[in-house]
Amino acid sequence: MHTLKLLSSFLKVNIQMALAYRADTVVNILLNLMWLGWELLSLNIIFSNTTTLGGWGLGELISLLGVFRLVNTLMIALIWPNTEKFNQSIRDGSMDYTILQPVNSMFLVTFSRITVWRIWDLVLAIILIVVGINMAGDVTTPFNILTFMLLAITGTIIIYSLWIVLIALTFWFTKFDNNVTILQALMDSGRYPATVYPAWLRIIVTFIIPIAVATTIPLQALRGELVIGKILMYVAISFISFFVASKVWKLGLKRYSGASS
Amino acid sequence: MSANSIFVEQLSKTYQVPEREAGFSAAVRSFFKRKYKDVKAVQHVNFTITQGEIVGFLGPNGAGKTTTLKMLSGLLHPTGGQASVLGFTPWELKPDYLRSMTLVMGQRNRLSWDIPASDSFLLNQAIYRIPDDVYKQTYKELDEMLELEPLMKKPVRNLSLGERMKCEIAVGLLHRPKVLFLDEPTIGLDITGQARIREFLREYNKRTGATILLTSHYMADVTALCERIIIIHQGQLKYDGGINDLSRKIAPFKLIGVRLTDADSHDLSGYGTQVQNEEDAEKRYIQVKAEDVTRITSRLLADLPIHDITITDPPIEDVIEQAFNQ
Repeated sequence: MHTLKLLSSFLKVNIQMALAYRADTVVNILLNLMWLGWELLSLNIIFSNTTTLGGWGLGELISLLGVFRLVNTLMIALIWPNTEKFNQSIRDGSMDYTILQPVNSMFLVTFSRITVWRIWDLVLAIILIVVGINMAGDVTTPFNILTFMLLAITGTIIIYSLWIVLIALTFWFTKFDNNVTILQALMDSGRYPATVYPAWLRIIVTFIIPIAVATTIPLQALRGELVIGKILMYVAISFISFFVASKVWKLGLKRYSGASS
Repeated sequence: MSANSIFVEQLSKTYQVPEREAGFSAAVRSFFKRKYKDVKAVQHVNFTITQGEIVGFLGPNGAGKTTTLKMLSGLLHPTGGQASVLGFTPWELKPDYLRSMTLVMGQRNRLSWDIPASDSFLLNQAIYRIPDDVYKQTYKELDEMLELEPLMKKPVRNLSLGERMKCEIAVGLLHRPKVLFLDEPTIGLDITGQARIREFLREYNKRTGATILLTSHYMADVTALCERIIIIHQGQLKYDGGINDLSRKIAPFKLIGVRLTDADSHDLSGYGTQVQNEEDAEKRYIQVKAEDVTRITSRLLADLPIHDITITDPPIEDVIEQAFNQ
């Protein structure tokens, strides 16, 4: 419960900060709308030339876009601003104060900045998913919807763990501002179904860099294409990657306290 | 449990710092093969501080003050020795420990720049799980001592340095820590600002019985607040004791100031080392060993046409300076 209370405190502070600059806020909302229009337009262009993409129909692609936006929103609302803050706090030393707070430092680093105006993106993403599924006319069972949600969560955890590892590397390199750029490059490859890519790239996209786990995979579950063994595998992978990430984070903190002056 | 609040034994910290010659080819070489140099920031330091003490931690830049404070607050792992604060090993970073101490660094910001300090205060209330009634009471007390109320509603970026420092100190004290580590809490402040922070710290210590370990470049901070000082130089402990004993132990000298009828025509070099003292331009000062004061004073009085004579301790700044250089 304390965690929820803390989250709401962070959210409040971030809303207060967002309201501090009015012009900035308005521009943000406008940019966000334009971005959505652009996404839909580009999808439309692809489909005026082809009716399917890697065996997926328009409705399915719209739901994929929805899932992609869902993950992307989390990236923009949490990962980006917190990475920026993290990188800065390593350089200016305010990381010291973060470490000395009686709260898990990974939690603080994840949630202390929230780009609140992006939260309404979540609604748009969910609408896209719902509309897409309806258009595809898929018969989705409650089980499929449940596994979809489960795999969306595990996928998010896997991406999150990857992010933690990437920013924790900063503890060793001191200056590693590319950490979020690398993650974003990996993210973009998840925008279209993994089957679009050539086989070798698909292997990289799905396994070595497991971004598709948060986009394509949950959608496959929704379409009832995944066997239970695979679903369990992704759940296991998410547990393992979270475990590894928190280990790396702890080592990084230790490294920080060993090397900084 | 003893009344010891801070206990430090043989505490040491050695950094590995990358090092290279100047120039382009050295930079390229160093990219492929780094050379490291060991820097002994703190070496075998021992001291204990009892609950409620205010101790000044002094030393020139690079002496190891901040490193020691960081080890005691838990940010750094030592490379040798032990420390315990309130019974905790600091670098284990136990939440119970973190809730009972605070580190305030004068050159770093904890408050969010764009929002009023009051909002950051509330965030800290949530982080430290301070119950509402305790928070209100603590805030009231801090407000009494620091006059925070008029500052609370402005965004932090619009506060003056002195005002911001007050808020930075206050936000670090909301959870009523029993031990305060203050690293240069008055840095950059004007004389009045420094005096207010000092006054506050003295009052806070009296009210709460908190232990305070502070570093400062301003000797006035230390002489006004601390009865005890610890001097560290090149990572080693040079002095630990009463501020009044310092001059006796480190620099057993007295200053004799004399006002003469015919100031410039007399040579004082035979009596002791002549020193500059800007406090009183009409007086001339000589520094003599403490045990010689009586003998030389009577010689001066017998030999010269003296209007006025004073015998004082040398300024504490000079004594500490001398301690650094030993």
